[in-house]
Amino acid sequence: MERKRTIGFYLATTWLALCAFMTVFGNMLPFRAYDDYDFDAIGVGLFSPHHILGTDFDGADMLAAIIHGTRMSMIISIVSVIGASLIGGALGILAAYRRGWVDAAISMYFNITLSIPTLILVLAMVAVFASPDPFDPSAGLPRSQVLVLSLTFVLIPVLGRLARSSALSWTGREFILVAQAMGLKRRQIMWTHLVPNVIPAMMSIGFLAAGIVIVVEGGLAILGVGTDPGQSWGSILAKNRGDLSIVPHTTLIPAACIALTVMSLNFFGDFFRSKIDGRESRI
Amino acid sequence: MSALFEISDLRISFETKRGQLHAVRGVSLDVGKGESVGIVGESGSGKTVMSRASMGLLRGKRVIRSGSVKLEGVELLTMADNEIREYWGTRIAMVFQDPMTALNPVRRIGAQMNESLIKRLGMSKSEATKRSLELLELVKLAEPASQIKKYPHQLSGGMRQRVMIAMAIACGPEILFADEPTTALDVTVQAQVLDLLEDLRKELDMAMVIVTHDLGVVAGHTDKIAVMYAGEVVEFAPTRELFANTKMPYTEALMKSIPRLDRQKEKRIPVIPGRPPDPTEHNPGCSFAPRCQYAQQKCRDEHPTLEDAGGGHMYRCFFPIGGR
Repeated sequence: MERKRTIGFYLATTWLALCAFMTVFGNMLPFRAYDDYDFDAIGVGLFSPHHILGTDFDGADMLAAIIHGTRMSMIISIVSVIGASLIGGALGILAAYRRGWVDAAISMYFNITLSIPTLILVLAMVAVFASPDPFDPSAGLPRSQVLVLSLTFVLIPVLGRLARSSALSWTGREFILVAQAMGLKRRQIMWTHLVPNVIPAMMSIGFLAAGIVIVVEGGLAILGVGTDPGQSWGSILAKNRGDLSIVPHTTLIPAACIALTVMSLNFFGDFFRSKIDGRESRI
Repeated sequence: MSALFEISDLRISFETKRGQLHAVRGVSLDVGKGESVGIVGESGSGKTVMSRASMGLLRGKRVIRSGSVKLEGVELLTMADNEIREYWGTRIAMVFQDPMTALNPVRRIGAQMNESLIKRLGMSKSEATKRSLELLELVKLAEPASQIKKYPHQLSGGMRQRVMIAMAIACGPEILFADEPTTALDVTVQAQVLDLLEDLRKELDMAMVIVTHDLGVVAGHTDKIAVMYAGEVVEFAPTRELFANTKMPYTEALMKSIPRLDRQKEKRIPVIPGRPPDPTEHNPGCSFAPRCQYAQQKCRDEHPTLEDAGGGHMYRCFFPIGGR
């Protein structure tokens, strides 16, 4: 049975479409630039003239900041999830299909990486690789790139193990033996029979993972190792959290964006999975 | 006439935690060109292991193989992986038991059929599609043009088995193994699939080995039948001869246990008491002796050899039905 498309599904889709639109076209929209501070309207509330979502204590327009932040948050999460899916997926499928020492080595790598606490690992990577000064690129990589790299690194074993277990459940199926008995090579079997079966499972988890990454990125920003101040939803929130009692909208709006996106992604992932499960049960 | 496919003294064991499991214990079998041979036995008699092993599909460290399997004089058993792969599909092919799991659920029928044609025979995509349609027509699947666009779950079991057969014969093998080709199908469809296999064998001049637990399945569709028990061939005879002049008590017991319409209503179907021997154990006597109603002391002490009754009829019994 396919799950019915509820109102929640449409709301989630709409929000994600809006986020996608802002990610791609955000800085072409006829809004104020996010770094164009309006010193005549510092810390104004919602629906004030010229600033629909108000401004923070620096005079930054919240709407412009949020639109700009969307891009960074989305790109970090999408790039790291896609990167980790490709690398982790390839490793996981390879491990499941080759078994033996290949499987042992890859699984050991997954398990070792998983045993390192995520937060500490990312903190360490930002501290080592990132430039301490956002305006001096020569001192190291930009923080956003280090974040993408470290989040990808953290996600590889999570998605990789999923790919491995999913692939394992398919390698025992008879159609693999059939393909073998038709004289196909191992590599051909892996590409044409294993990969297409593993991809749907990876995609449904990919949506959930994208949501988790956005939350983690927000958490890192609050710890001071997120993107540069005001660049992503998390760092907008981090930057303004001291002013919560005076101008609450400056923290509540980015927080709401994060919450809405994560909820939408989870919803979408669930919907996607129920579609796959439905298909699986009809086999 | 030298046989197309010769199995001699094939032994297959598996390393398990409980010790060596002897699945096949010295099977010899010849299959001539265009000939059809049935292999019959109950679950665990080693018939599937034998057919997979003789195709060379059983490989790996835990499989202990000895004996010989030759296709036109070329030894297959010791062949390297990449060499034997060249034989699979094009010279020796297999139809598997369960058409429900033997097709990849996420790929269309056409894509799966084209795969071996493109990768093994080097056809272009349009050539392969054309050939797939011909093959589906050959296996008498209705409306092949619309079927190749479908996914496996959209086809019935019988239709899927036809697709599997079409895939198996796609590259023109000389010998086709059919491992329980009809077990997963409805009785009405079973007959159709068996007739189809028979027609294809004649049309393509292909040898065929049908592995089944059902004597009825192979009765009308084979030239010879080998009855297997506990990893051994216990009786081997031309089909007619086997039914007319059964020698081995096990074969007789199998025949008696076939349900029949003309049997008295109140009577139970005679079953063979007990169960097949544990393949990890070694029994000095006849492997069927513990379940045999004619068994005598000699049967429990000595292992019978394969005796020749003349006319290609072989049996493994000290006290055959109807005497020596």
